[in-house]
Amino acid sequence: MSDLEARIDGEAVTPAKGWRFEIIDPARGIGRLINGAASMPALVEGKASDWVVTIRGRRIPVTVRSWREQVLAGAETAATARAGPAAVRATLPGLILTVAVSAGDTVDEGATLLTIEAMKMQNDVRAPRSGRVIEVSVQAGETVTTGTPLVRLE
Amino acid sequence: MPPFSRLLIANRGEIAIRVIRTCRELGISPISVHSDADVDALHVHMADASERIGPPAPRESYLAIDAVIAAAVRRGAEAIHPGYGFLSENPEFARAVEAAGLVFIGPPPTTLESLGNKLAARRLAQAAGVPIVPGTTVALADDSRELAVIGFPLMLKASAGGGGRGMRRVDSPDDVADALVAARREALSAFGDGTVYAERLLAPVRHIEVQLLGDRHGRLAVLGERDCSIQRRHQKLVEESPSPAIDPGIREALFDSARRVAGGVDFHSAATVEFLLDTANNHYFLEMNTRLQVEHGVTELVTGVDLVAWQIRVAAGQPLPDAVMHASSRGHAIEVRLYAEDPYNDFRPSAGRITAWQMPAGPGVRVDAGVAADTDLQPEYDPLLAKLMVHADDRSAAVDRLRRALDETVIGGVQTDTGFLRWLVDDASFMTGSYDTGLIDDRWGIDHPLPDEHGALAAIAAIAVRTATESSPIRPPDSTRAGSAWADVARRRALR
Repeated sequence: MSDLEARIDGEAVTPAKGWRFEIIDPARGIGRLINGAASMPALVEGKASDWVVTIRGRRIPVTVRSWREQVLAGAETAATARAGPAAVRATLPGLILTVAVSAGDTVDEGATLLTIEAMKMQNDVRAPRSGRVIEVSVQAGETVTTGTPLVRLE
Repeated sequence: MPPFSRLLIANRGEIAIRVIRTCRELGISPISVHSDADVDALHVHMADASERIGPPAPRESYLAIDAVIAAAVRRGAEAIHPGYGFLSENPEFARAVEAAGLVFIGPPPTTLESLGNKLAARRLAQAAGVPIVPGTTVALADDSRELAVIGFPLMLKASAGGGGRGMRRVDSPDDVADALVAARREALSAFGDGTVYAERLLAPVRHIEVQLLGDRHGRLAVLGERDCSIQRRHQKLVEESPSPAIDPGIREALFDSARRVAGGVDFHSAATVEFLLDTANNHYFLEMNTRLQVEHGVTELVTGVDLVAWQIRVAAGQPLPDAVMHASSRGHAIEVRLYAEDPYNDFRPSAGRITAWQMPAGPGVRVDAGVAADTDLQPEYDPLLAKLMVHADDRSAAVDRLRRALDETVIGGVQTDTGFLRWLVDDASFMTGSYDTGLIDDRWGIDHPLPDEHGALAAIAAIAVRTATESSPIRPPDSTRAGSAWADVARRRALR
């Protein structure tokens, strides 16, 4: 079907074999899971990689990522683990396109800090947690290698 | 001729809408009230007019006696229906309604006063020769010796209490002193009255209540029973009629006890007498409520009697006709309560906006809802969204119908208890009707790992929808609103 991978609670989930999802009311997210003679209603809400699927009345948060998003997310996690909570490092080699924050700014978790062009794609580097920016170590136009410190959070 | 020309409903949500519907059928103009949080609520839109009664906090709006009565007077209402909860059992309110020259749809204030005191109600039942739950019939002193006679475990209860508040379980004599202090303090802060009494904790038991309807001419109709044993922390979740646990002999004994209790009370309205039934089929009086119950629709389905209509008619002085006096029960009805509560997380209340709202319909299905799609849930109020009721020829068919109806139910945006209810209809003790009040603790439990097959199905649905939205020729709008990508798919389809 596609290179999309689904995760629930951080664990990769193998999509149920033989089942398909038929859209009934796109505006509300209502549809039906069908497998031969068996079927059940389901509700899908969300966008991009964040979805909530309601099956049998239970809301199930599902992360759906493309191959590219998986690589980036994995690299981001690895970088966070390596550098400790305060430093945000480049997770892949590339060109700094834009820098969205400067020292003294307060950022929320998930806020875009800067953009790196890598593998001919623009990738947002996001804040791993909320906090104040104490240092921005790079500027637009600069080339970085994997592991280069980019931003330090308090 | 309609019993009244205008009637004000001093409530909100599904019960306000329930009363509005009967008003329409009787030719009465319904007037609603609303707090600032409810300006756009469904019940406001369904009434002929609505009056603002104050800020969101219930104490300043739906419990504000003066504001409610002023609203009724301004709109020229002749009567006030209080629904359930809020002011429905408040004698001061009933008195103020009468003082304003209006009709209170309920019992006289003195009846509310005497039954609001749970200890007085126990004494009343005992005097009428009805068995009560073993325990004290006078306020507890600080001396705990009398509790040893009752036996452990026992429950300490607030005499002015209700809805599970001011209740405390005591398992051994050593815990009595501390529990007594805590129960008194809780009762005092919740009800302004620290009087507590003790009852033996009976388990396993079923909770069965008898529906009564009285008029101002001394006629009393007994309209069957409801089994309300599926509850959590004294909050009912499922009710059915008839009770699957009792035979005609026990039923008649319950009806007889209910009549005896009612005989000592002046109520001319709808009322319910609640009992506990132990495994030896002994029943014990618990309390009497002289108002409409949340679960009244179950009785309406099996008897065909519109309880709200008769509450209004008897308030206007009409006598109960023979058709109501001798109404018999046909088939089986079950109600489940759709709550904005998370059964996978200890039934904690959920907040947010309802994004999708698809209710079941078809043969034998009734839905009394207080919300719709795009309703924002108000944290100040009860998390009851709707009551889903089914009616069929027998219990087994009713359970099948309930399963079908739950499968048609789709609610988006907030976690509800629908998943718990869907589990319940396939639970062996529910299917056989052999459950008791411990069902949720014993069988639903605490931990609810996601079944692998549901995770695998959720993955299918989420991937399918992401794929559908991304294959759209129109770029998804840059919006944070959940479901925006879906709206996009809808547009794409419309263009085809």
